[in-house]
Formats: sequence, C-alpha cells, structure tokens
Amino acid sequence: MIKMGRVSTGVYGLDDLTGGGLRENTITMVRGGTGVGKTTFALQYSLFGLNRGEKVVYISFEMSEEQIIRDCGDIGWGEIEYHIQRGDLKIIHLFGEDLTFPSLDIVEMVRKAVPSHNLRIVVDPLTYPTFYSEKEKRKSLSTIFKELRKMGTAVVTLEDLADSNHVHEGSNMPLYLADTVIYLQNLGFGEMYDRTLRVMKHRGSKHGDSLYPYSIETGLGIVLRTSPRQLERVKPKTKFDEQFKKAIEKTRTMGEVGKKLSVRIEALQRNWTHDEDPSQVLKLVLEEEMKGYVKKT
Amino acid sequence: MSKRLEEALDELHEIEGVEACILYRIDGVPITLRAKGYREHILETMFWLEKQIKQVLREINTEGLTETIFYFRNNRILINPSSRSTVLVTITGAEANQQLISLEALRASKIIEDCVT
Repeated sequence: MIKMGRVSTGVYGLDDLTGGGLRENTITMVRGGTGVGKTTFALQYSLFGLNRGEKVVYISFEMSEEQIIRDCGDIGWGEIEYHIQRGDLKIIHLFGEDLTFPSLDIVEMVRKAVPSHNLRIVVDPLTYPTFYSEKEKRKSLSTIFKELRKMGTAVVTLEDLADSNHVHEGSNMPLYLADTVIYLQNLGFGEMYDRTLRVMKHRGSKHGDSLYPYSIETGLGIVLRTSPRQLERVKPKTKFDEQFKKAIEKTRTMGEVGKKLSVRIEALQRNWTHDEDPSQVLKLVLEEEMKGYVKKT
Repeated sequence: MSKRLEEALDELHEIEGVEACILYRIDGVPITLRAKGYREHILETMFWLEKQIKQVLREINTEGLTETIFYFRNNRILINPSSRSTVLVTITGAEANQQLISLEALRASKIIEDCVT
C-alpha cells in the first residue's frame, strides 16, 4: 500500500516549505558542516513525535545517551528523560568502526530496539560507519534505507567536511539515495543569511526552493525566518482555477489518454505555486498530448 | 526585518530602467531576486554572476569600493556590497537613468546592511 501521509518535522517553519512535512516512510538527509544544527534538527524531530505519543529510535555515532540528555536539558528539552524512562525513545550509541556489516547491523538494531512500523528513526551522523569501498557503500546505504523505510520515517544527518572558507559543499555520501535532502549552512559572518536552510530535494512533493535564514533558539531549537513573500511563493494559487477547469474539459475529447491527462492537470492545479497564468503551459501540454492521441487513433 | 529588506528591493526594482535586482550571498547563492518577467539575457548574466561574485566582492572589499560596474551587451550591471556576506546586484537597461539608479542602489544596500547585520 502506498502511504500518502506527512510527518511533521518539528522544525518551526519547515513544514510550510515541504508541503506539510516529510513524506511518511521516507529517508531525509540533513547535511551541513560542524555547528550548523544537524543534531538539534534530529532531536527536534524526535521530540516533536515523542510529545505526541510516537516512538523514536535514535542511533548516535557521536554522542552517548548521557551527553544527549545533558545537552537536551541545557536547551530546555528536559522531557527527553521521561521519554527514555517510558521506553518511547531508545538511544543506541555506537562507533562506526564496530559495525561489521553496516547494512545488516543498523537495521537489526532498530528492529530490536522498538518493533514497530511507524517509527521516527534518527541516525546522527551517518558519516562515520566504515564501508569497504565506494561500490559497497552505495549498496549498503541503499539496503539500509530500503529497510528503514519499511520501519518508519528516518532523518539521517551527514557531516560535511569544513575547509578554510566554511563553504565547502562536498559530501562523499550518495545523496540521490535519500528522498529528501536538506542543506544547512553557516558561513560564519554572524549575519542574517549566514545560517541558511535549503531544501535541495523533496521527492514526490512540491517544496520551497529559496534560501531560508534560520536561528537556533534555546528552548525551541531551529526556527526558520521565512519572509511572508517566500511563504507566499510555496502556496498553491487558486486564482487560475478557471484556466485549469477549461483544460480539463478539453481532455474529455481525448478518450483514455484524456482521462490520464486530466488527473495530471488536477495534480498540477493543486501544486501551481507560480504567480503567472498557466494557460501557455496548458496549451502546450494539450497540443503535445493531442498529437500523440491523433496519431494513435 | 526581512520585510524591510524586501521592500527596499521592491522599490529599487520599480525604478524605470531597472531590469532586475538580485541579492547575492558571498558564495554566489542568490538570496532573493526581482526581475521584470523572464528574459534570457538576465539568466545568462546571473550564471556569470554566480561564478564571479565571490571574487568581485573580495576585490571590492580589498579596494574599499562602494560600487563596481560591468557592461554586458546593452546592460549595465551595478554591484554594491551590502554587508560582509551579501552583495546587491542591479541590472539596468541602456536608457535607464544611471545616476538615479546608482544612488537608489546605494540606499538599498544600506537598508540591506541594517537588516542583515
């Protein structure tokens, strides 16, 4: 069965830019350099679910359970201890070098920790597991992601290597394996657009494609400072409904091809965020589709 | 804060002869853009700017310049540093009032500086 639901990220302002949150049973990679807020993102995502009765498995390659509890306490998220005691949050602390077969080990750990199918899963950061070769790494990651998708909705953080300019964008992890990629940056000038979030990819969903400034606030975590105009740009526009309606009417003369096309146009209508009239696009689509239809008939 | 920044760009963009104004980050990533419809030459200019902005901004800062001007075909490209990490680019047509636009771009860049720092 194909799942259509959304999972709220808990990151203030991000759900509005991603069509309502992360798609259920998908993998989201959050990448960025040191100190951009990847772990804060992961903890925020976890706590949002925990505070709403969901279960979370948190695989930490960096911080121990004690460190996580302490850091959460400092930021104002003391409730994390309660969730651990209740058994809703399972933190697994391990070293990448200790994994013999990363793909099997990670999946097995999650499965054993909380046997459930609607988990929030966090791997923070995935940079350190040792893979034998590039080829093996891609295959291993693909297997890990495939299995994690079956168990829930996962957020995986990735550490980017920093260079002297703090703007290094290299990551040797195959990002194409993830369903969603979120890029956090901090240029280090202390200005508004130094700390920014970009949604680089959000498979199967419309998303904002601007550069969104954010801050990390004690007690809250990551808060996006999206301007009203940026928000307006990701909202579907209803003022062109008439144009879509006319186009859908035209598809009715195109038999089976038309039926499929009308579904596509409806999807386009639901996701038309541009301020420009879609008539030109719709005309082009109808002409092209009509060509194929006429040829066949 | 960002509302004021957006308004400053809107005002600059509304001046006759301004074809586009773009706020870039120092690494060449466009932060926000105002353009009068789709024009291919603006896109070409943006591709060029994305590659050059870091270098140009470094030069501007080293030399202590308040603006740098490039000419591309019929366009004048005005580059104003607006803060340590941002730069304002104004693309104008040949018939534009260059003096007015220079002043307005400078004014907008000061507002941007106030907003982002």
